Amino acid sequence: MRAYELMVLIDPEVDERTVEPTLGKFLDVVRNDGGTIDNVDVWGRRRLAYDIKKKNEAIYVVVNFTATPATSAELDRQLSLNETILRTKIIRPEDQKVSAE
Amino acid sequence: MAKAELRKPKPKSNPLKAADVKVIDYKDVALLRKFISDRGKIRARRVTGVSVQEQRKIAQAIKNAREVALLPYSGAGRG
Repeated sequence: MRAYELMVLIDPEVDERTVEPTLGKFLDVVRNDGGTIDNVDVWGRRRLAYDIKKKNEAIYVVVNFTATPATSAELDRQLSLNETILRTKIIRPEDQKVSAE
Repeated sequence: MAKAELRKPKPKSNPLKAADVKVIDYKDVALLRKFISDRGKIRARRVTGVSVQEQRKIAQAIKNAREVALLPYSGAGRG
């Protein structure tokens, strides 16, 4: 099991209140495979630095979760199949630490 | 005898040490903006004054931030 951080960019035309329940369905993949969702942070609408699919803004959501590598790959695959999701990115937070002196 | 032409490089102040940053987060746009030029290019290490390891993490964080449209690939979309 590893700690992951997922960032999802959702179509700005989606109602912000429906974001969390919809995303919850995708996150069931993690729960069903024995992983845990540690934190879900909905940033809300934010301007994009460049257009994605002709949109200039998106709803940003950051999810911290713990799962196996296979589960996180499957979650990423399922998210990318959804039309209202503009972009996803999964990173491992421990890679960001500045090494100690 | 070497002449005084060998000028001593001025020790640079490490901006990460000053801000006491432990984790280079790709979501921390305010921090990463200090390491890109106004055209959106990543500043060289001789300009930023950070260590090799830190520069590598910063570069990776900027690239991650670009992928999720938090930072531009190029300045204002024209450069």
